[in-house]
Amino acid sequence: MPQTYSELPAGYEFPPGNFRLEKAKVERFLKATGDAGRLYYSDNIAPPNLTAALAMSALSRTIAFPPGTIHASQEMEFFKPVRLDEELTSYARISRTQKRGKIHLIAVEFDVRNQSRQTVLTGRTSFVLPQEESPP
Amino acid sequence: MKLPELKPGLELPPLQKLVAQEQVDLYAEASGDHNPIHLDESFARQTALGGRVAHGMLILAYISELMTASFGRHWLFTGKLDVRFKSAARPGDTIDISGRIIKMEKSGTGAAITCSVLCSNQKHEAIITGEASVALPEDWFVSS
Repeated sequence: MPQTYSELPAGYEFPPGNFRLEKAKVERFLKATGDAGRLYYSDNIAPPNLTAALAMSALSRTIAFPPGTIHASQEMEFFKPVRLDEELTSYARISRTQKRGKIHLIAVEFDVRNQSRQTVLTGRTSFVLPQEESPP
Repeated sequence: MKLPELKPGLELPPLQKLVAQEQVDLYAEASGDHNPIHLDESFARQTALGGRVAHGMLILAYISELMTASFGRHWLFTGKLDVRFKSAARPGDTIDISGRIIKMEKSGTGAAITCSVLCSNQKHEAIITGEASVALPEDWFVSS
């Protein structure tokens, strides 16, 4: 059961998440974004934004973001294209938390490594979350 | 596509995308993000957003496409993004994606190019703003 964000302090490290970029996901992503994807099909590689999205979606399996959560900002750096069906592992940690009145700011840093433990991309995501309601 | 001589002020070839709910649904399947704010209209109407919105990361992918179209594989090896999500894109929106070189730092091994990037809707409201940068090797600048 995911924990709520208020239970997680700065420095918290999420459990590593393993995933693989399958051809079907790449095809859906390229269709969703309207990208002809010639570069990806010719080199049998995945779009880096899809790799990042999958790394980030693993967070939602650990932390429960409440309704009204806003994705405020995104930083990413790409180091190496990912080949289809490569085994990947995402590592994420809460780098910053801050409460301002009724809102809660959280920044999460993540990096994704391939099976050779090479870093393929890094990122930093910030969220604005509404204050959790107090229990009755 | 080979760009004309790179220099600050150069506009990258722009893109335009229609964000249909079908695209949002496909993106949810690809990314694993099934937040009902993107998929369930009756749920979304009850939120402050008042209706379904597209994933911010879906719109951000358009910027990667802009950069790949201009700089090819170099974007995949050296690309950096630093953006803010200013407002939500909604199904039915037409998004214009643009970029402009704002800085170019040459070195012995090539050049670091920084672009301001913008995604805006048909009302000219900013959806995403920020910067994207890429490192190009020396042979990029060698005339053929």
